[in-house]
Amino acid sequence: GNNRTSMRSSSELIAYKSVNDLPPPREMMIQVDQRNEAVLVPIYGIMVPFHVSTVKTVSSQQDTNRNCYVRIIFNVPGTPFTPHDANSVKNQAAIFLKEVSFRSKDPRHISEVVQQIKTLRRNVVARESERAERAT
Amino acid sequence: MADGHLFNNISLGGRGGSNPGQLRFHSGGILWKKQGGGKAVEVDKSDIVGLTWMKVPRTNQLGVRIKDGLFYKFTGFRDQDVASLSTFFQTTCGITPEEKQLSISGKNWGEVDLNGNMLTFLVGSKQAFEVSLADVAQTQLQGKNDVMLEFHVDDTTGANEKDSLMEISFHIPNSNTQFVGDENRP
Repeated sequence: GNNRTSMRSSSELIAYKSVNDLPPPREMMIQVDQRNEAVLVPIYGIMVPFHVSTVKTVSSQQDTNRNCYVRIIFNVPGTPFTPHDANSVKNQAAIFLKEVSFRSKDPRHISEVVQQIKTLRRNVVARESERAERAT
Repeated sequence: MADGHLFNNISLGGRGGSNPGQLRFHSGGILWKKQGGGKAVEVDKSDIVGLTWMKVPRTNQLGVRIKDGLFYKFTGFRDQDVASLSTFFQTTCGITPEEKQLSISGKNWGEVDLNGNMLTFLVGSKQAFEVSLADVAQTQLQGKNDVMLEFHVDDTTGANEKDSLMEISFHIPNSNTQFVGDENRP
């Protein structure tokens, strides 16, 4: 929902409303869903979505065996302020997923994914902080 | 075994992604065979302690928990299969499958539930994901609040996924009361 009152905070960002809104299962690999602003990661045979606003950083690394690693770090409480830190403050009793890291067989796919996540994240964060500013 | 149900396109999910195969339910239990041979999973009905259904994108997933703590996940059931199989399980095993929901909100905060050797991350009481602690090579406490799980690196399992999970870490704030002592630490 984009047209709620100014009381709506970015903490209400959700990726999907229904299971059927998720992209059809393809290969088991990290995907970026631009339309729903989500990053999907394969965990035990299921694509698990995370809204891009929960992502703090993403980075990749390659070793000498042509293995490629990608690390996604999520926002958790107690880290430097981010526009979505409201989540962390509001959910003090929760346990947070802090980080996932994957090894990939395809370095090109990984660098693509890293770029896509970074761009999407930047756009969403910019939009949300603009919205927050307008609301005050 | 005329009373059985045969499904041709059922994947067994696990550490290495999912493998397609054939699943047969018969009066004695469950038999899954990997497509093209190789791995097979056989579960005697007397070993089944719990069954779950979960709606996943485009299909349904059956969870089979057995006595020794293992938890098999089979994916690829149509909506109409769910109803007929539930009836089948009730009559043959006397077990009513429980319905689980998949979290799709995209949040990274929730609860951790430990059951047998499965660690489940729940968001708003819906399941975001599940990992098997049997696949964890090492756990590490990082600082006071972070727990890191490192998974086995195994190149021989024939993982058919492009990206494989290597590490996962959870942040447990001081304000969390679920894991106060470290005896419960995953």
